[in-house]
Amino acid sequence: MYRYIIRRLIAMPLLLLGIVSIAFLLTHFTKGDPLISIIGERQMDNPIVIAAARARWGLDRSLPEQYLIYVGNLLTGDLGTSFQTKQGVAKDLLQRLPATLELVTAAMLVGCLLGVTLGVVAAHYRDRAADHLARLLALIGSSLPVFWSGLILLFVFWYTLRILPSPGRLDTRSTAPPFVTGFYTIDSVVAGNFAVFAESIWHLILPACVLGWAVMGIISRLVRASMLDVLNQDYILAARAKGASEPRVLVNHALRNALIPTLTIVGFSFAYLITGAVLSEKIFSWPGMGSYAVDAARNLDYPAIMGVTIVGGTAFLLTNLVTDIAYAFVDPRIRFR
Amino acid sequence: MAETASLRPTFVRPRWLTAPVAAGALLVLFWVGVALTVQWWPIDDPVLFAGKRLASPSAAHWLGTDALSRDVLSRTLHGAQHSLPIALVVILSAVAIGASLGAVGGFLGGLADAAVMRLVDITLSFPPILLAMAVTASLGPGLWHAAIAMIIVWWPIYARLMRAQVLAIREREHVEAAVAAGATAPRVLLAHILPLCWSPILINATMDFGQVVLLIASLSFIGLGASPPTPEWGQMISEGAQKFYQWWIAFGPGMAILSIVLGFNFLGDGLRDFLDPRTQ
Amino acid sequence: MKKGMMNTVRSRCVATTTRRALLLAAPVFASLAGASGLLPASAQAADTPLVIARAMDINSLDPARTWCDTCQIYVSNVYESLIGLGPDNKTLMPRLATKWESNADQTQFTFHLDPDAVFSDGSPVEAKDVKWSWERLHNIKGGPSFMMDGVKSIEAPDAHTVVATMEAPNSEFLGILTAPYTGAVNSDVAIANGANANADADKSDTSEPWFMANSAGSGPYVLADYKADDELRFKANPNYKRSKVGISEIVVKNTKDAVAQAQLLESGAADIAMQIDPDTAKTIKSDSVAIEMVPSYNFVYVAVSPGAKGNTVKLTKEVRQAIGYALDYNGTVEFTVAGQGKLQAAPIPNGFPGTDGLPTPTQDIAKAKELLEKAGLGNGFEINAEFPNMNVYGVDLSLLMQKVQQDLAQVNIKVGLTPLEFSVWRTHVRGDGIPLTAVFYAPDYFGSAQYIQYFAMTEGTPWWKRAGGEHDATITNAKEGDLLKQALAAPEAEKDKFFHDIAMEMINDRVIIPLVSPDVVLAHAKSVKGVRYSACCNLPLDEITRE
Repeated sequence: MYRYIIRRLIAMPLLLLGIVSIAFLLTHFTKGDPLISIIGERQMDNPIVIAAARARWGLDRSLPEQYLIYVGNLLTGDLGTSFQTKQGVAKDLLQRLPATLELVTAAMLVGCLLGVTLGVVAAHYRDRAADHLARLLALIGSSLPVFWSGLILLFVFWYTLRILPSPGRLDTRSTAPPFVTGFYTIDSVVAGNFAVFAESIWHLILPACVLGWAVMGIISRLVRASMLDVLNQDYILAARAKGASEPRVLVNHALRNALIPTLTIVGFSFAYLITGAVLSEKIFSWPGMGSYAVDAARNLDYPAIMGVTIVGGTAFLLTNLVTDIAYAFVDPRIRFR
Repeated sequence: MAETASLRPTFVRPRWLTAPVAAGALLVLFWVGVALTVQWWPIDDPVLFAGKRLASPSAAHWLGTDALSRDVLSRTLHGAQHSLPIALVVILSAVAIGASLGAVGGFLGGLADAAVMRLVDITLSFPPILLAMAVTASLGPGLWHAAIAMIIVWWPIYARLMRAQVLAIREREHVEAAVAAGATAPRVLLAHILPLCWSPILINATMDFGQVVLLIASLSFIGLGASPPTPEWGQMISEGAQKFYQWWIAFGPGMAILSIVLGFNFLGDGLRDFLDPRTQ
Repeated sequence: MKKGMMNTVRSRCVATTTRRALLLAAPVFASLAGASGLLPASAQAADTPLVIARAMDINSLDPARTWCDTCQIYVSNVYESLIGLGPDNKTLMPRLATKWESNADQTQFTFHLDPDAVFSDGSPVEAKDVKWSWERLHNIKGGPSFMMDGVKSIEAPDAHTVVATMEAPNSEFLGILTAPYTGAVNSDVAIANGANANADADKSDTSEPWFMANSAGSGPYVLADYKADDELRFKANPNYKRSKVGISEIVVKNTKDAVAQAQLLESGAADIAMQIDPDTAKTIKSDSVAIEMVPSYNFVYVAVSPGAKGNTVKLTKEVRQAIGYALDYNGTVEFTVAGQGKLQAAPIPNGFPGTDGLPTPTQDIAKAKELLEKAGLGNGFEINAEFPNMNVYGVDLSLLMQKVQQDLAQVNIKVGLTPLEFSVWRTHVRGDGIPLTAVFYAPDYFGSAQYIQYFAMTEGTPWWKRAGGEHDATITNAKEGDLLKQALAAPEAEKDKFFHDIAMEMINDRVIIPLVSPDVVLAHAKSVKGVRYSACCNLPLDEITRE
């Protein structure tokens, strides 16, 4: 078991190198010229300007050279400088990653809360109307395109009813709290600024619900299944026989055990959420990794694209590893090979 | 998730037509029917300009008109002609590539297995949307380029699934008996192992069909899919997003995606209930 | 006083939050009400920053390296230029230079600097700073470096005099100096932070990261903070004396789409927005928002490239003219900007020198068919259109090209549409060429020569190359180059005539076909005064006041 984990950890840098190489090839074979976003269209036919810009951004070197330089810098922890923001990609990511993580965490909370509730309800009322309704809600959640549901909810709650705030992390006139974690909800509390705290929560509601609903489907389905498993176990019958109240049986006895396998789903949902974040950050003007990735891809900002891929890839590898290990603890039938 | 589910495959217990399966089949059949016949329907041309631009829904245009005065309902219905065939091609190719590589890797083990699985690991390490974006960006826009990107995203899932199946079934008595009886390796794989591997693949492919439709729309939404004036749902939503107070532009295509994905999810869910006893 | 105000705001906020919580009727959200009760909310106090909602396209904040619309706003308000552009967008106004003169053949210009002008750190603006800034602008070889093309030397005979000598007559040099990028940089401060103006500045100047976080200009504002893709914050320059600066703090808030900009304006969360499209502007019902539609100097055009490899037929002048006649100009203005735009005859914006009395473009299907018949293409042909997938100045290029596709179908020309990312488009347009495309142009200063140098079929211009001028001699129109030389050597009063003649030649070439000059939608809170659109600088911040 531990040998397995260690082996997986050792393999990670190699996998990362693979990811980096593929990302490098894909981006550099794109038939586009990143210079247009650096110097503007007007001068794109001026050979002197073009040559200067190529030299400055290292684009005048051959591809293998560029690759080796990039990997070399990477080993020293240097992710390069973004063509677009003109600051270190590491710094860019540090600014944007917390925004995405905050959104994804909030979405995960919403998703788990709703998903577990629905799952328990569905299991308890198995094959009755409530079960079908819960499953229907869950299925709709995983069938909704987030870029559309986000739009519709914005139209209803912001544009028409005006009960939820505009897209963005804070009101336009507010200033972000001083950087500690990058989570506005945490930083504002650290700074003692509860106005900004409330505001940041308020702005999180809509995007978190849109994304949360999407993962709720997966979670509730799994909770339902494992609740059904657990509810047939002897100790549940025993608890019922001892006269424990039904909510008590459900929550204290059944859910606690049913949740263990559910935890493993967090890894999968994370993947789902990253996809969702790319799309919903666009709709909700969320200055996170998703919108950074889209902009970087648009402008062919090579260092930024690579940075996003590396961070995204690492996160994926880590969650996959955690998920697999969690599986192993839960389900001893899985053999490690 | 799928991996554990697949560890205890069982035989099909055909108890047809529960409510979800029926609903899913209806939705899917409806859209397949639309895709096959829509060009003969008595509705406006999806590409030609019809008159007043950005008109709200009326008797003449049930879902209004878009910024170029085209009938949104007609464009929504015609959208099925683009999304469905592409999703089909993507799923079939991904299953073909993924399942054969996974089966061979799982059966042979050793170097072949390691090679396939490392490739799977690397591909799965990319967030799917980012990988699809990168591939589409380097191939250039267009629905079929997006399809290639999606095949690249999807095949590893089936490779993993198939490999796990093959590994589990390889240990069964009837396979050992066949080996003992002197059956050749290809014959053992084809005749004794593969026939038992299909149910999780089928469930996944059905559910994924909907997810592929979603991802095509997502790519088009961020401008990497269809070229205008093709009526593609994601692109229509993206047009609607620019002026979302004219809700009808995005409403039709959104409902189309929702209903078709929901249909496949219903079907997949229903199938899973039969094929996978864990959720019973 | 401030404390009392906070209390009233606080109590109002509790009420609204409770209502919101009740509406949502969920315990999770209700717990928020407690937290929100503490918030002083977005009070419209006099000391809150003025918010401009804008899609930020910033690629640098170094005046020698930036190139974008938001950059124009930033640079023009932070780095003052020698000459300003008056509210009529024509008249040159003194800024850092109190007066200037030129010699008879327009080859030498002398500027007298305001002796009282100081940089934001209080040090005086001297001729050496101007000389250094202009030399650096040239030597960095960045996006705006062409502003200094044709400048032979820059001298500073004394601390308040600058003499610029041209290689050839250039009557437009004074106009160029209204472009924000030519603003004066505090050379001592910049040099201390890695900047230089040497011939190899493109390699040896390491100051850009410093410029992204600091400023060293003499304009009405200084840089307070910049967060890429999020916000750009200005603070009033305490040492600015030329006029009274009305607002002490201004934030440009990145707001990508028009609907969001309109909503922020209506809810009072933003004070100014300039990128709302006319359709969306019509949905604004709030009484506290003022909306003006102002003719702009931006335009969107289609370009026909005879030299593109993908052509199925030879796009002779006749065929190009047929395309020009087949297009529905009024319809395009209607479809792309809901009628809120102007037709434009030549690739020189309306109102610029030489554009008076140019013929209005009109659709003439019969004539288009006749021309095609004559070229042996009566049955039409296929042409591939690739264009940047973007929305510029309220015009969605994809919608525009779908309209073009329908128009050309009427004369049997079948257009295939491929939207591309801008970076990919650029590679195509300069590689194999693109038979039919659509792009846009916005001016950097008041003057017509910049358009001839970019669009005319004169040897070496970008569009001459893109149209295939390097391989096909029939593309070149030598007359245009000769006329430009005459225009640049002509005294102020006579140059319009030459520009007019060039414009007529360019219309006849039909390589560049302007389709629409979209109006600028100036939308702002009624309490905000002095918002105007400037041809060189987009939005002069120092003229803005708030009631």
